[in-house]
Amino acid sequence: MRLGGPRKRTRSARPESPLVCRWDLDKTYLRSEFTTLRQLLRTAFERPEQKVDVPGVAELIRGLKAAAESRGQTALVYFVSASPPQIGKSIRAKLALDGVPYDGIVFKNQLEHLRRGKFRNLREHVGFKLVELLRGHLAAPADTRELCFGDDWESDSLIYSLYADILAGRLATAPLTALLMRIRVDPLLVAEVVELATRVPARDAVERIFINLERRTPPATFRLFGPRVVPTFNYFQTAVVLAMMGRLRLADVTRIGAVLVERSGYTARRLDNSLDDLVRRGLLTLSAAERLAAPLRAAGLLSHPAPRTRWRRMLGRLGRWRPRRPEVRPSAPPGALDYDAILARVQPAARRAAATGGRP
Amino acid sequence: MPTIAIDAMGGDHAPEEVVKGVAQVSLATDIECVLVGDERRIQEQLEGVSYNPEHIAILHCRDVIGMAENPREAMRRRDASLLVGTRAVAEDRADAFVTAGNTGACILACAKYFPLIRGIRRAALASVYPRHIEYPGQDRFALLLDVGATVRCEAEELVHFAVMGAGYARRISKVASPRVALLNMGSEETKGGETLVAAHRRLRALGGINFVGNVEGNDLVRGRADVIVCEGLVGNIALKLIEGVSEVFTDLASVAAERRLTWRFGLRLLARGIERLRELTDYAQYGGSPILGFERLCIKCHGRSTAQAVANAVKVAAKAVRDRVPAEIAAAVTVVG
Repeated sequence: MRLGGPRKRTRSARPESPLVCRWDLDKTYLRSEFTTLRQLLRTAFERPEQKVDVPGVAELIRGLKAAAESRGQTALVYFVSASPPQIGKSIRAKLALDGVPYDGIVFKNQLEHLRRGKFRNLREHVGFKLVELLRGHLAAPADTRELCFGDDWESDSLIYSLYADILAGRLATAPLTALLMRIRVDPLLVAEVVELATRVPARDAVERIFINLERRTPPATFRLFGPRVVPTFNYFQTAVVLAMMGRLRLADVTRIGAVLVERSGYTARRLDNSLDDLVRRGLLTLSAAERLAAPLRAAGLLSHPAPRTRWRRMLGRLGRWRPRRPEVRPSAPPGALDYDAILARVQPAARRAAATGGRP
Repeated sequence: MPTIAIDAMGGDHAPEEVVKGVAQVSLATDIECVLVGDERRIQEQLEGVSYNPEHIAILHCRDVIGMAENPREAMRRRDASLLVGTRAVAEDRADAFVTAGNTGACILACAKYFPLIRGIRRAALASVYPRHIEYPGQDRFALLLDVGATVRCEAEELVHFAVMGAGYARRISKVASPRVALLNMGSEETKGGETLVAAHRRLRALGGINFVGNVEGNDLVRGRADVIVCEGLVGNIALKLIEGVSEVFTDLASVAAERRLTWRFGLRLLARGIERLRELTDYAQYGGSPILGFERLCIKCHGRSTAQAVANAVKVAAKAVRDRVPAEIAAAVTVVG
């Protein structure tokens, strides 16, 4: 069952195009805590069974793979993490424990930056991630469609948006270089990103960028990134949007909802509210929400609507009680994003640099 | 978890501060919040702040009752947020209602949709305010009721207010035996006219509550009593006087500081103490005033409520629901007959 209506062929790839899902790891897949040095050390030495995944994420990845396979497509899952490769063994074991199928995982060689005395690179991930994403894209089949998954802790929305615009050919070499310099990306990495960007054939490959609002960042903050970036508060919301796009099956959404209820203490009301929030934010049409709600209600995951009075039902039909809903947002932005405004918002250092004529 | 309906459109700073307050609650607690009001305006505000959508629902309605509107005329506007929210509680879609809107309309709405507790004749608006602590185990807030719901009262109604106030203080302030007093013009039991004398006599004879006699106006901010009972007209004047004195004190200090360097210097030295005092007397700290006497709960916030005040009011409402305050009051009324 597809929730978003028939797909327009002109805007999306052929059904057999492979799907690549690019995932961040910490705060997107894992509930890693590293705001203090003690938490950072604990995270580094945690055993796989001690690591906690974000509720519903493993089921979502399995669902994406299974849904693609049911359509005769290939779905590939890659993780790009800024964590050091030293914790790779533990992460791989955790993914195996969760039964998450993946096709590749890349870590950031922090020791190498330490050895070279590039201390800024330890915390600056834009250059590293862009290089790895572009390398990954060049290694994938040409007609690949992509979905990106990140969180609101660092710069995932910025990194993925830059990546999407590079793939779409919306960022030429000069503005891309200027942008990366403003973010104070290591010049070696800037050169590598630019070189990779010139090799990428221009094609609008990134369908959506999902941002897990782990820090509960106000969703309005992401408006500057355009409709391609979808901030969601839990993986039930992400699953619903993916189902509307035709990337997940209704059964997968139900499974994710059930996991949240059974393992994470979610209630029918919390899922109800999550669904309503998507409609109010223009990420889901009311009719799609109603179509989705019926089977979820039948599965006991959503609560049954309160019986209305006869008068209220009648007025409801006349539209008096119905609020004006926002139009569902299109997935692709009309042009390149206003990165000056984005940097001024997300990078205070870049804001200062912009004020001094672009010098970092 | 209790479900609290909140009038998103009521108050001088609505919907901005109300929505911010509810957003704070959604992040910090598991309370289920239902924001009542214009969905589009509420959503606009929500998206600009940190919130947890899992704990927030919106009940859409288009109309709003203004703060200065005639309450009786406002009652005709059935699609106003204040009336829709009250009805939601009456129809069991929420456990309690919180509003910073028009006080008169709020009381009339409660009277229209909520049944009175059996044995209670009139409802009372109870105000929580900070005061000096005189006895060990006392709460830093006292309860003054009625402050405007019932303008003129008979002796029996004052007795009911005492019972309701004591029940509320027992549950919310966790004072096992709250000290109940009658606000009067003297401490002698013969003072204050026929109604107050009769009320004093009945309260003195009543078992089940810790009646400590009459208190005067200057005792309001001392710790002589935890629950102070009076009729609505007197209570409202007393409450506004307390608020007014606090505001004038702050204003005078600011003016003096502008005029004299020595004052400015002195105030700087006292800044931390003054800030502590301001926090203690800040209405935003204690949330709102319960309307007592109904089977359902309503917390009325100050019209000027900030996000913090709204958040505290929602928490107080949830606490009152969890602690089954109306049931406690009903039981107390049954005991005193």
